[in-house]
Amino acid sequence: MNSILFLILRRLRRPLILIIVCFSIAILGLSLMPGVDDNGQPWRLSIFEAFYLISYTATTIGFGEIPYAYSQAQRLWLTFSIYLTVIPWFYAIGKIITLLQDNALRQAITTERFARSVQNLKEPFYILCSYGESASVLAKTLDEKGMRVVVIESQQERLNELDLAETRSVIPHLCADAKLPENLIRAGVHHPFCSGVVTLTDNDEVNLAVAVAVKLMNPELPVLARAERDDIAANMASFGTDHIINPYTLFGEQLAMRVHAIGTYILHEWLTDVPGDTLPPPENPPRGRWVVCGYGRFGKSVVENLERENITTTIVEATPELTGCDHCIVGSGTEAHTLLEADITNAVGIVAGTDNDINNLSIVMTAYELNPKLFVVIRKNRRHNDTLFKQFNADITMQPTEIIAHECLAHMIAPLLAQFLTMVRTQSNSWANHLISELVAVVGETVPERWAISINESTTPAIVELLKNGISVSLHNLTQDPADRSKALNLVPLLLLRDNVPMLVPPIATGLRVGDQILFCGTADARSGLNISVNNSKALTYIVDGIEVPDSLVWRWVKGFLARK
Amino acid sequence: MNLEKVIFGFFIVLAMTLNFGFFLGDIDNPHHHHVYELYAAIIVSLVATVLKFGDRTHVGAILLSTSLAADIQLIAAAILWAALSGKMDDASLTVYIVSLSGGALMANFVSVILLISETIGQRR
Repeated sequence: MNSILFLILRRLRRPLILIIVCFSIAILGLSLMPGVDDNGQPWRLSIFEAFYLISYTATTIGFGEIPYAYSQAQRLWLTFSIYLTVIPWFYAIGKIITLLQDNALRQAITTERFARSVQNLKEPFYILCSYGESASVLAKTLDEKGMRVVVIESQQERLNELDLAETRSVIPHLCADAKLPENLIRAGVHHPFCSGVVTLTDNDEVNLAVAVAVKLMNPELPVLARAERDDIAANMASFGTDHIINPYTLFGEQLAMRVHAIGTYILHEWLTDVPGDTLPPPENPPRGRWVVCGYGRFGKSVVENLERENITTTIVEATPELTGCDHCIVGSGTEAHTLLEADITNAVGIVAGTDNDINNLSIVMTAYELNPKLFVVIRKNRRHNDTLFKQFNADITMQPTEIIAHECLAHMIAPLLAQFLTMVRTQSNSWANHLISELVAVVGETVPERWAISINESTTPAIVELLKNGISVSLHNLTQDPADRSKALNLVPLLLLRDNVPMLVPPIATGLRVGDQILFCGTADARSGLNISVNNSKALTYIVDGIEVPDSLVWRWVKGFLARK
Repeated sequence: MNLEKVIFGFFIVLAMTLNFGFFLGDIDNPHHHHVYELYAAIIVSLVATVLKFGDRTHVGAILLSTSLAADIQLIAAAILWAALSGKMDDASLTVYIVSLSGGALMANFVSVILLISETIGQRR
């Protein structure tokens, strides 16, 4: 606010001085002009009267000649004063109006307002350093989950979209360059409630600049950054960026996971999707020879991962010298003869992975005509082409923005979940299938909520209180309904972290200790049920012992009296 | 030599000297304190205030606040004069007005001291 006030004052210096000088001359002159009162006595206006007169004349209000009719000398001076004062007055008003429409001032006001609304946030929030396709999905999901978000974006059009979006809570946003440290500070990098910075622009350099700036200003703050180039990713890692997200590598890994462990893949998808959705049963990609069209970053990651699964690939690429592939068929893949050259009729799958949506659709449609049994993987680049891709209905549609958003959500909503998923990847397929059937039995077919609790004084006072009193609380107690202990809540503990040692799907009889962190998945109802039992020691005592602890003095006395008898 | 600095210094010093000129004389003698001198002091003080606008430095902020203090007291004196003249005896009215202008003089004095100290602090 300060800087705006000073900006206005500085701009108004000239018109204000002009007004003061002109008024002072007019008032002085008027008070010196000789006049005559109604009795014919010589009379002059006092300075105060002159000030009053000039004030109403300069502002063109004009009450007339008061208190007596003026002499010629006074009228002459007043005529001069009118021209002297009215013009600076309008000049000043014009200046103020121009100032209010001034872009620099407006920018200063919006920036100030943004900084203030961030300062006033009283709950944990994330900073998003872009509002592109993946960031908007992320912002929407976080907002639905009741988490606060702050957005910095350099393109006004995208922010207009945010302005029109219906959100639960206000999302403060600023049209500014996130690379500039002062903008990051305004967005709350130093704010005590800031829980992390997410930078997902499609420009690696920008993401790098943001990650470096945040790590220098506030090293404690977690940073999630998107990086598509390996050198940038390495640079980010050297600065301690917490999570580096490369959508192409991620998709390649997921595709490989689907080929060799569909169960693990389903578990992964199920736990990172938006809660409440139902997942279609995924197709199992066939083994055999695949045709990969487009050998860019996406194609390279796919080929690398497929080859690790011992699947042979034939690469079709329009510009082999740019992408650096040695054995490939030159062509875009949209024409039948290129695909025939790649022996599409004997292949089991095709990957259309160019960065052009229309070409990708054309590739798979041509290939489908040549070989209708093909397993189709298609890359979708733009979200607004959704309808076209739905029409085609490929076996796997890869969308970078969704992959990025899911990966970010896994890290942001429950940091333990990311750790859990990394461990799941090393488990066998049958283990994953077993866990899925267990989860489905408890929480149903829809995507469950995931959340973590840590056992400490502030978040789970009830557990800490019971443990202090020497009453042991087990994981099993947390799965019981606080309303009726014989019933179970629809939740499953997935991971227990004790002294930094993770325990995958801990046995239900495990006793809890202060400092434990537990990752749960379950329904929203179960989550609120659990919230009651960890916060309310009466409810927890009931769960553990089956005893209703009396609350009031009278009942305590009655109970004690009965017990003594 | 900078014309802007000359004007700036001129108005600040003039605000103080005019104020002092008005203040000088017996505190209850209306003949020692002329209304036009108060008028000039107010106008010059206002101009000095506006000249100080927009300086974001610490000294600039203190200079502005001293000017505002002087303005308020001078304007209060002028309002008293306009409102009470003829309604009470001249001697006690003059005491009110002159003592207010004395307060303004202190503020102007601080302003000039700040200006001098800043000037001495400058190497050139």
